[in-house]
Amino acid sequence: MDLDALGQCVTTASCLVTQTTSGLIAGLLLFLVAAGLTLIFGVLKVVNFAHGTFYMLGGYIAFTTLQVTGSYTLAVLAGGAGMAVFGVFFERVLIARVYGQDVLMQLLVCYAVVLIFDDVVKMVWGADFLAMGMPPAFQVPPLFIAGGIVPPFYAVLIGIALVIAIALAAALGRTRAGKTVLAAAQNPSMVSALGINTDRLFALVFAIGAGLAGLGGALAAPVRSLTPGMGFSVLIDSFIVTVIGGMGSIGGALLAAVGIGLIRGFGTIGFPTFTDGLIYAAMIIVLLLRPTGLFGREVI
Amino acid sequence: MSLQVEHLTKRFGGLAAITDVTLDFPTGSLTAIIGPNGAGKSTFFNLISGAFRPDSGRVLLDGEDVTGHSRGDIVRHGIGRAFQVASIFPTMTVAENLMVAVAAHRGQWAGLGRRFPPAGARARAMEVAELVGLADVADTLSAHLSHGDQKLLDIALALALEPTVLLLDEPTAGMGPEERWQMIERVQRLWERQKLTLVFIEHDMDIVFRVAQTIRVLCYGRVLAEGDAEAIRTNQAVIDAYLGTEQHAA
Amino acid sequence: MTAGTALRDLAVAAIALIVLIAVPFFVHSPAFLDFIIRVAAMALFATSLNLLVGGTGLVSFGHGMFYGLGAYAFALLMQRTELSLAAAAAATLVIGAVAGLAVGAVCIRLRAIYFAFVTLAMQMLFYSIIITWQSLTGGDQGLQGGIPRRVLFGFDLNSQLHLYVLSSVVMVLGLLVLRHVSASPLGATLRMIRDNEPRTAFLGITIWRAKLTAFVIAAVFASLGGILAALFVSGAYPELANWPISGQAIFAVMLGGISTFLGPLAGAAILLALGDAVTRVTEYTGLVLGLVILFVTLGLRRGVLDVLMEALRRRRAPLARPATPKAAE
Repeated sequence: MDLDALGQCVTTASCLVTQTTSGLIAGLLLFLVAAGLTLIFGVLKVVNFAHGTFYMLGGYIAFTTLQVTGSYTLAVLAGGAGMAVFGVFFERVLIARVYGQDVLMQLLVCYAVVLIFDDVVKMVWGADFLAMGMPPAFQVPPLFIAGGIVPPFYAVLIGIALVIAIALAAALGRTRAGKTVLAAAQNPSMVSALGINTDRLFALVFAIGAGLAGLGGALAAPVRSLTPGMGFSVLIDSFIVTVIGGMGSIGGALLAAVGIGLIRGFGTIGFPTFTDGLIYAAMIIVLLLRPTGLFGREVI
Repeated sequence: MSLQVEHLTKRFGGLAAITDVTLDFPTGSLTAIIGPNGAGKSTFFNLISGAFRPDSGRVLLDGEDVTGHSRGDIVRHGIGRAFQVASIFPTMTVAENLMVAVAAHRGQWAGLGRRFPPAGARARAMEVAELVGLADVADTLSAHLSHGDQKLLDIALALALEPTVLLLDEPTAGMGPEERWQMIERVQRLWERQKLTLVFIEHDMDIVFRVAQTIRVLCYGRVLAEGDAEAIRTNQAVIDAYLGTEQHAA
Repeated sequence: MTAGTALRDLAVAAIALIVLIAVPFFVHSPAFLDFIIRVAAMALFATSLNLLVGGTGLVSFGHGMFYGLGAYAFALLMQRTELSLAAAAAATLVIGAVAGLAVGAVCIRLRAIYFAFVTLAMQMLFYSIIITWQSLTGGDQGLQGGIPRRVLFGFDLNSQLHLYVLSSVVMVLGLLVLRHVSASPLGATLRMIRDNEPRTAFLGITIWRAKLTAFVIAAVFASLGGILAALFVSGAYPELANWPISGQAIFAVMLGGISTFLGPLAGAAILLALGDAVTRVTEYTGLVLGLVILFVTLGLRRGVLDVLMEALRRRRAPLARPATPKAAE
C-alpha cells in the first residue's frame, strides 16, 4: 500500500490526467463488455460465464487481423463480427440445450467452453503474453493535456466507446428489433406468446452480447497484453458492474464500470497488488448497504 | 379462532390490488371468496398469510394484531394455507412430505442430534394422510401423484400444522366436475371434523352456492357484496360484474 | 431414513476403512497411496459442497475459498505456533467455521445466480489477499518451509504410509459425519428448501438459519479437506484457493451425481484419475476436461452414480400407481 504516492498523484495535474484517462478507458471498455453480459442475462436469464472468452477471442482475432491486413479498423470489425458469429454458434449449439435448467448446468457448460478455448488459444497463439502494440495509424506523438500524457489512441478509444454505447442505447430503444429485445428482457414468455420467433431473438441477443465483448477485446488489445485466461478477470469485473450498477440499468452499468475503471487507474498507484481486492470489497459493501445495486429495481 | 381484516390495502407499483377491504370471519365459519380473475383474491390470501405486507390496514387473529408478521410467525399463530397450484416437495414421498411438515410444526427442523424422522412423526403424518384420504399412497413419490392427489397433499401439508384457520386457494382448480364435488365434500368434512375457520377461493358457482355459509365477492380489489347464497345470487351488482346472465339451479 | 440405515452407514464406513487400510499390505504402489490421499482431500471438499448444491439447492461457486483457507491456516499455524498437529487442525476448523459464518451472512440471502457469483467474488477476494500478503503467505510462491511436527498420536506423517492411513480415516469419518448431517432433521429441512423454498417458509421454518447452518458446516468440512491437502504438499500454495479448484469441485459433484451421497466422492476419484491420465498424454488438460464436461452435462445430463441408482431403483420398484382420481369415502 502506498498512500503517499496516491496522494501525490491526485494533487499533480499531469498524473491526475494520465490516470483518469487510463481509468476512463478501462471503465468504458468494461462497460461495453458488461453491457453484453447484462443483455444476455436480462433477456435469456442465462449467466454467460463464458463471456470473458468472447472478450479474449475478440482480442486475439484483432491481433491476427492487424498482422495480416495492417488495418486496425478491420481488426476491430473482425473482433466484433467474429465474436457475434461465434456467439450465435455458441448459443444455438450449447446454450439452447440448457435453457430453463439448473444454474449449475449453465455454469458448467460455460465453464467447459472457457477451459476449451483457453487451451485453443494456447495452441494457436502460444501461451506467452502477446502485445499487439499501437496500430500504425496511432503511432503519433501523444497529446499533452495539463501536462499529462494522453496517447491519441486513448482519445479515439473513448470516442469509439461512447459512440457504440449511444448507438446501442438508440438501437435498443428505437428500432423494432431493439424494442423487442428490451420487451423480452422484461417478459420473455409474453414475447413468444406474441408469435415472435424466440429462437432468432435469442440468437440475436447472443450475437449482440458476444459482439460487444469481442469489440471490447479488440479495442483493448493495443493497450493490454493478450494471454490465455485473460477473459476471467474481465468476466468477474463485468459481473461486479452488473451487481453494483443494478440489474437492468444501463446507466448504472456505465457508472459502475467507469467507477471500477477509475479505481483500477488510481489503485495501481496506491494499492498495486490489491486493486482486485478493492473492487471485490466495493461490491460486497454495495451489496450490504444497497441490495438492489445503485440503480437496480429488484433486490439481488 | 376468528379472523378479521380491517381496511386492508395493497398496491403494486401503480396497480391497486386490494383497496380498503374490511371483512370478518367468525370462528368456525365456512366462507367462499369469489370474483373475476384479477380481483385480488390470491393477493388477499397473501396478505393474510404474511407473504406480503399490506400498505395499510390490519389483520387480526382472535383480536391479536398480526399485520406484517412473517410467514412463519403467522403459521405459528394457526393460519394454514393451501395453494392454487399444489405446492409440495416433489422429490419426497407423500409420507415424507407430511413428516417434514409435522417435524416443522414441532420445531424439530434444525436438529442435528438424531436421524430424521423424529419419533412419532410418521404416526402423526399417517394420521394427517388419513384425514385427506392419501393413506394408501403414502409411499408414492409426490411428483408421481395425480393432479387431484397433489392438491390433497397440498391441503394436508397445511393441516399438518394443526391450523385453526385454513385458507384454500381454489381447491378444485384443474379438476373435472365429478372430482370437484368429491374434493369439496372432503373439504366440508374436514371443516366439520377439525372445527376450522375455513375460507376458500372458488370459481365453480354451483359449489359455492351449495357449500358456503357466507359468500364474499371481490372485484377490482374491493368488496363488492357479501351475504348468503340467496343474497349473492340475486345481487344485481354481482350479476353485472361476475355472474352474468347464467342461471343457477337451487 | 430410519435408525436402521444409520447402522448400515456405519457398517459401510467400517468396511471401507478396513479395505483401505488393508490395501497397502497387498499392493506396493506409492502412486496409489498418493492418489487416495488426494482423493480424500477432494472428496471431503466436494461432498461438503454437495451439502449446499444437491442438498440445499445453493450453488456456491466460491467454495474453494474454504479449502484454501483450511490449507493456509493449518500450515501457518503449524509453522508459526507451537501447537500440536491435532490442536492446529482443530483451530483450523474453527477458523473455517467463522469464515463460513461471515461469508454466509453476506451471501445467503442472494438469489441463485447472484449467490453463485458473489461467492466466487468472495473467493477471488480471498485469493487476492493470499497473493498480496507476501510476508504472511509467501505470495504467489506459496508457503515455503514445509510443515513441522508432523506427528499425530504416534503416527509420523513424514511417512507416506502413515499419511495415507490418516487420510483414509479422516475421509471415512468426515464423510460419515456429513452423512449424519444429511440424514438429520436439518438435512430434511435443507431438502425441503431445495424442493420448494416458499412452501418451506409457509411451514414456519426460518429459511436463512437453515441455509446459514448448512453453509458453515460445508465450510468446516472443506477446510478439513484443505488440511489434508496441506499435509500432502507440505505447505500451501495459491492454486488451492484459486477459482479452478471450485470449478473442479462443482464438476466432481456433477460428474459423480448430486442426488447420491457418495456421488461427489466418485466424481472426485474419476476427475483426479482422469486428470492424471490426461496429463500423461497432453499438456492441454483444459481442452480435454472441457470436452468431458460438455459430454456429461449435455449428453448424460446426470452424474455417474445418479444413473446407476436410477437403474437399480427401476429394477427394484415397479411404477407408481396409475393416476386415477380418488373416490370419495
